[in-house]
Amino acid sequence: MLRKILIVSLTAALILAGCSKKQSSSASNDVTEIRLPMGYIPSVQFAPFYVAVERGYYAQEGLKIDFDYRPETDGVALVGANELPFALVSAEQVPLARAQGLPVEYVMAWWHDFPVAIAAGAQSGIQKPADLKGKRIGIPGLYGASYVGLDALLNAVGLKESDVTLDSIGYNQVEALVSGREDAVVVYANNEPIQLKAQGYKANLIPVKDYVNLVSNGVITNEETIAKNPDLVQRFVQATLHGLQDTIDRPSEAFEISRKYVEGLPQADQTAQWEVLTTSIDYWRSKQLGVSDPTAWENMQTVLLDMGLLKTPLDLQKAFTNQFVLAP
Amino acid sequence: MGDRYLAIKKDGIETSHPATVRQPRRWLRAGLIPLSIIIAILAWWLLARLSGLPPFMLPSPGLVLDRFWQVLQDGTLLRNTWVTLYEVLIGMTVGVIAASGLGYLLAKSPVVERLLSPYVVASQAVPIVAIAPLLVIWFGPGLLSKVMITALIVFFPVLVNTVVGLHSVPDDLRDLLRSLLASPWQTFIKLEAPAALPIFLGGLRIGATLSVIGAVVGEFVGADHGLGFMINRARGQYDTALVFVTVITLIMMALALYGAVVFAERRLLSWQQRPENPILISDKS
Repeated sequence: MLRKILIVSLTAALILAGCSKKQSSSASNDVTEIRLPMGYIPSVQFAPFYVAVERGYYAQEGLKIDFDYRPETDGVALVGANELPFALVSAEQVPLARAQGLPVEYVMAWWHDFPVAIAAGAQSGIQKPADLKGKRIGIPGLYGASYVGLDALLNAVGLKESDVTLDSIGYNQVEALVSGREDAVVVYANNEPIQLKAQGYKANLIPVKDYVNLVSNGVITNEETIAKNPDLVQRFVQATLHGLQDTIDRPSEAFEISRKYVEGLPQADQTAQWEVLTTSIDYWRSKQLGVSDPTAWENMQTVLLDMGLLKTPLDLQKAFTNQFVLAP
Repeated sequence: MGDRYLAIKKDGIETSHPATVRQPRRWLRAGLIPLSIIIAILAWWLLARLSGLPPFMLPSPGLVLDRFWQVLQDGTLLRNTWVTLYEVLIGMTVGVIAASGLGYLLAKSPVVERLLSPYVVASQAVPIVAIAPLLVIWFGPGLLSKVMITALIVFFPVLVNTVVGLHSVPDDLRDLLRSLLASPWQTFIKLEAPAALPIFLGGLRIGATLSVIGAVVGEFVGADHGLGFMINRARGQYDTALVFVTVITLIMMALALYGAVVFAERRLLSWQQRPENPILISDKS
């Protein structure tokens, strides 16, 4: 019995030792290996990162990337705990995480425009945000970018959450809209509208970006990595920007490269997948790739405060920086 | 205790051990559970303190207690607990009625048992998290989908124990009732139901704890109320202390349901000889 207790205690101690070990990245032979949480399943929308690997942009900066498709919140927590150096997240996660003491910082805008939109049937009469008043809207859940985007949109046209009926339907927006269970659904502009189109369903789309300027998905790191290893951040951001620019300039090549990383892509509906990529590219384009707009951060914070997701305003200067994007 | 044997029942599996192990005194036995809870909280506190993990990864018991008090005072916890409990109770009721009804049919008819048993076993093999989104699509995001998911998860243990319980009725007693010209209803009420009840209630105990998981899985897929929703929202806001509060509340709910079945067992099976404080151990003479 005593022996068993000793074995269990030793195992627990080893697990603890493993937990407390800081392993933001591992370097061997001048190559830094980076595990990168993507926040979603393998998808053609991650083409800029696949391109940066395949074209050797990360390798040129001495980086080896290992894609990790764990959920977004896990990536934020691991970067906040300095267990990993970078993660791809939706921008509203940054103030939410900082409010709970996670020292994460946004260092590169990947999406220039906020990707959330409202989809409704073409015959529903819903064409602008004001038409949503009194309607039943399906949403994946009352959290995350979908919820923030919807509230921002309603606020932008003087509506409140109480002016509509919200149904938490999980990621079943296409089925809920097609079956007529919901009048409108909250979607990602580069995903569900294309699925709806593929099914022959005609939908009106109300993109949040047309009504309010919110900061969108990007790369985060943590304060310790910026303080102790700014060169690593610089190299990662520059290589990623290179991949992003390449994808925007040569989407068909990026699509081909993505086949290697997205299981089932060669068998999938090529037209629809191509459209996912090209629609995403429309949301990535900006005058200055990677730069996030301070006004968009202010707007995001205002929305989060109005929603009660933030109790007090944060110092946004600490939440994001453009220094690694603008550096030569 | 003499030569009697104790049947240790865990997950429906019974193993017999000689009951010659000396039982601790009553006061010591009463104090063992609180003592184990105190030791667990102390270990948690030490782990949080010594591991070096930040509070958003492992909050201390004190932090969790503070958060518990906040959500208790503002009504959030009670409101969401009630929603989940409501789903659990209705789902359990539906699951138990369906499982015991079908279980009776399977036990009485070998033909029906042969026809349906592959589907019954297959239903247990389907991962509930995989079909939960489909159930939300079919039955909508409201109460019905959560009830269906809960009922499905409760169904199998109750069904199996109903069948096993009815099969355990001794044939000589059936013959005796037949010789007394008892009607099928009289046979059921006087013999089958009392004889099958101990094993049926064993299945209900397992079903009661699983039912909480069913409701939470449903709320994870799509809900705007309930403890599953609270966990999702707390995770989205990196409020790990609130995740702990919600998980502990779910554990308490499962324990309360389990305790309710144990209480019902004691009342309904008072004719059986039982140990003084059965927790996972039930007496079998």
